[in-house]
Amino acid sequence: MKTATDTALRHVSALRRMGISILLLGWIVIGGTAQAVINGTTGVNFDLTAKVGYASMGDGATVYIWGYALNGGAAQIPGPTLIVNEGDTVTVTLNNDLGEAASITFPGQLDVTSTGADSQGYLAAEAGAGGGQVEYTFTAGEAGTYQYHSGSNVAQQVEMGLSGALVVRPAASGQAYDHPSTAFHQEYLFFLSEFDPHIHTAVEAGQTPDMTSRRAQYWMINGRSGPDTFFDDGIPWLPHQPYGAMARTHPGEQVLMRVIGGGLDLHPFHTHGQNFRVIARDGRMRETIPGFSGADAGISDFTLTVAPGQTYDAIWSWEGRGIGWDIFGHAPGDPCDPAGEECNPASPDYDHGKVSPVTMPEQQFLTFGGFWSGSPFLGQEGPLPVGEGGLNLDGGYFYMWHSHNEEELCNYDVFPGGLMTMMIVEAPGVPIP
Amino acid sequence: MKRIHVAAIRMVLASLSLMIAAGAGADVYVQCPGDTNGDGVIDDFSDPEYLAHPNAVCMSITGGDGFINMADTTVTGEARGRQLYMFGFADVTGVDPLDVIDVGTTAAWYPGPVIALDEGDEFFLSLTNVGMARRPDLDDPHTVHWHGRANATPWDDGLPEVSISVHMGGTLTYYYQVNEPGTFMYHCHVEATEHMQMGMLANLYVRAAQDNLPDGTNLNGFIHQTGNHYAYNDGDGSTYYDVDFPLQMSGFDPIFHDASESTQPLPFALMNDTYPMLNGRGYPETIIDAPLANTENGVVSQREDALIEANVGDKILLRISNLSITNYYTLMSPQIPMRIVGTGARELRGTGGADLSYHTNSVNLGGGEAFDAILDTDDVAPGTYFLYTSNLNYLSNNTEERGGIMTEIVINP
Repeated sequence: MKTATDTALRHVSALRRMGISILLLGWIVIGGTAQAVINGTTGVNFDLTAKVGYASMGDGATVYIWGYALNGGAAQIPGPTLIVNEGDTVTVTLNNDLGEAASITFPGQLDVTSTGADSQGYLAAEAGAGGGQVEYTFTAGEAGTYQYHSGSNVAQQVEMGLSGALVVRPAASGQAYDHPSTAFHQEYLFFLSEFDPHIHTAVEAGQTPDMTSRRAQYWMINGRSGPDTFFDDGIPWLPHQPYGAMARTHPGEQVLMRVIGGGLDLHPFHTHGQNFRVIARDGRMRETIPGFSGADAGISDFTLTVAPGQTYDAIWSWEGRGIGWDIFGHAPGDPCDPAGEECNPASPDYDHGKVSPVTMPEQQFLTFGGFWSGSPFLGQEGPLPVGEGGLNLDGGYFYMWHSHNEEELCNYDVFPGGLMTMMIVEAPGVPIP
Repeated sequence: MKRIHVAAIRMVLASLSLMIAAGAGADVYVQCPGDTNGDGVIDDFSDPEYLAHPNAVCMSITGGDGFINMADTTVTGEARGRQLYMFGFADVTGVDPLDVIDVGTTAAWYPGPVIALDEGDEFFLSLTNVGMARRPDLDDPHTVHWHGRANATPWDDGLPEVSISVHMGGTLTYYYQVNEPGTFMYHCHVEATEHMQMGMLANLYVRAAQDNLPDGTNLNGFIHQTGNHYAYNDGDGSTYYDVDFPLQMSGFDPIFHDASESTQPLPFALMNDTYPMLNGRGYPETIIDAPLANTENGVVSQREDALIEANVGDKILLRISNLSITNYYTLMSPQIPMRIVGTGARELRGTGGADLSYHTNSVNLGGGEAFDAILDTDDVAPGTYFLYTSNLNYLSNNTEERGGIMTEIVINP
């Protein structure tokens, strides 16, 4: 078997022959035990502007959007993720560049007041069309995952993209709530939403769309449809969709999933590889004894139904034990993985040194996925026919996290795409920013 | 926050559409310890491979195309309703490997064969791709995705984009160490929207190890007896049941299936499942306690029914799953109380052991969700009761009223 370096170089040269260069962007190491954190803006004063923009879908289509922009920048979907601390007094100034009144409502937040409103909207005080402004103030009283969205002409404006995430952090770092049962190593946002492109076309043409005929044809995580969900935050060719949805972890670590039903439809969100355990819903821990027991009443499941307006927090952790073969390809005499049970011969999960009792078919009978490393072992690559693979630089285990309404895995009549992303379990030692 | 850039861009699309390597000939190769002739049945119990895996359970299935019929007989005026082309799995355990492709061609089942395992088994599942004989232009590979499997690895997860899939003429053997009891499901994950709509779906469940405790074991006050069954290793008998039935909800879009059969572009954007089904049948075929043959080639392609039968006093475990790719369905038991004891193949318990089970008359499932419901017939008079979707528009077989997701619970005295 080739070494990982040999194979990596072979993949790089193969891709270069195809005229594609791999961009290896630098990463920022987050100090402390928490590693990957959600991309967002911290602070207590936020300046948002409701304005127009364009989103790119995975089939190449361009969709006219209305989005919230941060500090006068580009409209984005979802809106900028606002990150505040429990107890903060938060001020959000909304400027409105749209041709109709706009506003923001903050479900779950306490004592939301406004100043300078030009009018009262359906769910919130409004900033008038064409340059109006309103300032909202509220107390971020409880830690958790929340949504903010338009309170004006709500069905149409949320469809157009005026919706975003609000994260309230507890006092302790590395936790989702005020209890150690909600600790995590990595946290990721999964903001689920959809578009009906006909409605966006009508709005772009200055018409009033028929919301009763709405039928979604694009499905997104964090504002992007597959496979754009796989790409980095802030890639230059998606200026109005700054957030990717790829997630990474190591065996035995806890991943915090912040899942938001940010659109107008339900989605059954399915995690390959392992169950998750729900720790909170709508910004409140699932507790048997509120205020005392921590998140001990959340259920374990493999598919999470997220309704519009709901938020869920869940912990996902992949142990990689009890499989019946050694995921590192160890021989019985090799050192075992320091992750506990793998080294304990008395454990029912003891896999160290075991070999799978089945073999793979010969290559001529197989189709290979681009994210298959060529090897069944974690952190390793194996031989592949020329041109195959190349998308798994560290030999990680890839799991698709996606809507299990598989019709939502399309981009407007084209499969594949839609509401899907990947969770990568990387071998121990592979750096995750 | 920045991350390592995984890859460049449009080649992702190319990879996702799956490049097919040219096949060099058929080779049905079933892997099963102690199986001397490759038919997926263990026949040599002294084989050293079997002795190394004494809990081995083997199965050999095919993936390919076939036909089934819907239940709208008042529309067709015939014994069976509308005929639809489909893709599916079929059970060929016991079939000589030289005959597998012949037996499996255009003979898929809907739903696929039930996989019923015991906690502690080592499951060897061989999938042979027999091709789509009615669509010779298609060379789709297939996989088995055990939905909800804990600690899955890409090799056994059946997700083609991140793994391997088997194409026509070949056999891929999955190996699973069966550690978790509960109600799961399995389906093909190659071009999932298409292959799942076309019918590559089936029931899968695992019986609990607690079933096999020594007679008389005291489970926190509940005395186990040999022959008892439990949905989970509950430790207190709270998920005890007398009889169990897998019930899988799904639906077919006839326009999509007709387009597939006549080699037309597939209407993903217009998908509309108008034939809702329970275990692959619309009512009243759900209550026919017999396998059904299709009207195209006579293959017995619908082998599961949804009829529930029990005796008064029985606890009935319904292993409910939804593999519809378009719809949520709510299943209602209006007359027999139902207690939800598990979801996502886990007992409904908090991390500290709190009992999170609940009583209800209805349970709602989106695609990919599973629930375990125990119906208590203690105070129920003998007779016939109904279990049906409270999405009343789905009590239909397309335009025919009185169909769809409905079945009967027959309680015998």
